[in-house]
Amino acid sequence: MTTKEATQEVKTVRRPDPLERVNTWPHFLIIEFIGLMIFTGLLIILSIVLRAPLLELAQPEYTINPAKAPWYFLNLQELLLHMHPTLAGVLLPTVALILIAAIPYIDKDEAGTGVWFTSRKGWAITKFSFIYTTVWVVGLVLFSEFIGTRQALSLLGLPPAVVDVLGGIVVPIVVMSVIPGLLVSIVRRRWQADTRHVIIALFTMFVASYVVLTIIGTGFRGDSMRLVWPWQLEHPK
Amino acid sequence: MKDDKGRVHRERGLYGLFLRIWGAFRRTELFKSIYMSDYPYNRRTQVLAVMNNLFLHLHPNRVTRYSINYRYTLGLGGLSFGMFLILAITGVFLMFYYVPSVPDAYFSVRALGTDVFMGQFFRNLHRWTAHVMVLLVFLHMLRVFYTGGYKGTRKFNWVIGVVLFVLTLLLSFTGYLLPFDQLAYWAITVGVRMGGSSPIIGDQVRILLLGSHDIGQATIVRWYTLHVLFLPAIGFWLMLLHFWRVRKDGFSATRPILVEDHPVLGPVKEEARG
Repeated sequence: MTTKEATQEVKTVRRPDPLERVNTWPHFLIIEFIGLMIFTGLLIILSIVLRAPLLELAQPEYTINPAKAPWYFLNLQELLLHMHPTLAGVLLPTVALILIAAIPYIDKDEAGTGVWFTSRKGWAITKFSFIYTTVWVVGLVLFSEFIGTRQALSLLGLPPAVVDVLGGIVVPIVVMSVIPGLLVSIVRRRWQADTRHVIIALFTMFVASYVVLTIIGTGFRGDSMRLVWPWQLEHPK
Repeated sequence: MKDDKGRVHRERGLYGLFLRIWGAFRRTELFKSIYMSDYPYNRRTQVLAVMNNLFLHLHPNRVTRYSINYRYTLGLGGLSFGMFLILAITGVFLMFYYVPSVPDAYFSVRALGTDVFMGQFFRNLHRWTAHVMVLLVFLHMLRVFYTGGYKGTRKFNWVIGVVLFVLTLLLSFTGYLLPFDQLAYWAITVGVRMGGSSPIIGDQVRILLLGSHDIGQATIVRWYTLHVLFLPAIGFWLMLLHFWRVRKDGFSATRPILVEDHPVLGPVKEEARG
């Protein structure tokens, strides 16, 4: 039998009914066990070849440059560069977490439960939202780095205190409201999105900004947190 | 070994010998006193094995094929818990050697790589597993979101999940300080500065986090206690609650309300109808 024939042979076999109930032991436990074994094996190999970092003893008087938080907080640290620290470090993550926790109480329609992306429309919206957010985030980071809200505002001749409030708080809040708002109106108009699909767009926006900001913070921030290319990064000493 | 229909199979060689010894052990009073039911070799005993086991009891006895399809769950929640187990085991090993004080913390961690048998390996495993766990928990959240798993009876379990995600980050973050090297010190400085910028209560938050005005002895003791005792204890009970609710609320995939063909992974509609 050739490979092609063998494949056809397999295809004609009727698939088991997916709603058939099977015993947890062994059908489910074997999947969990194999998954855990694969991960344990890979992590053991990783731990043999790669050492966990350990620099010099902590010295409060010598700041390492750049001083970076753990990678999963680098998105917040990245935001600190662009707005008031209270807004970036406390208010924004708190509001984001509360909104995420509130999702089930906003999107209550049970249609599409148990189906990846709910529908073809959901998958299209996810892709669109991811690209939309990535373009905005990268664009805003570049704007902030090379022009800067404060610099742009001070060109208008405003007093420094006003520039601080506008550039650190007002402008970021406006930007962070208008961009999701625009996304929602696009998604509603183009795909006639219902609540579930709007939530998909907004949650994808959160995921995309989390991921993109983490990548920028990890791979593109060098000396004094200036933008650099990843190959220009030096290990902190 | 008996199969479903009670037919007896005789195996030869070493495997046969193993089966005979195992079979003899299963008939002993000791085995029967440990397990409430017989070894799970057929449908009935397989159900009993799950029902009568404290740990397996968190699973339902029976599940639909659709809900355990790895293409659906990707196994991310179970793997996150697996990472927690690896971290607990390697963490206890590290606790044997770690000294939570300044500057001994640093030297005890460094000694893991020079004086302790397999010390560096266990530290590496603990650290890389921690990173992987953060990643898996995040991906698990994405999976549940994109499959709409948070709806209906499962609303509150999503909220517990969000809390567990925050706990995972806090566990990782508190562990980050403990080696007390330059990397740890300055990462925590940056992190605490963020928390310290809370409106009105910023200074109080700083003092609460550091136990003093700067990172030092008090901070290490605080974060060590949180890292090895408080956060894992809270996390463990919340995990049990989380798994128990998964079981009680019903899997999101048991009664898929179908909309269209699967957009990415193929036609789910026909498959799920059976």
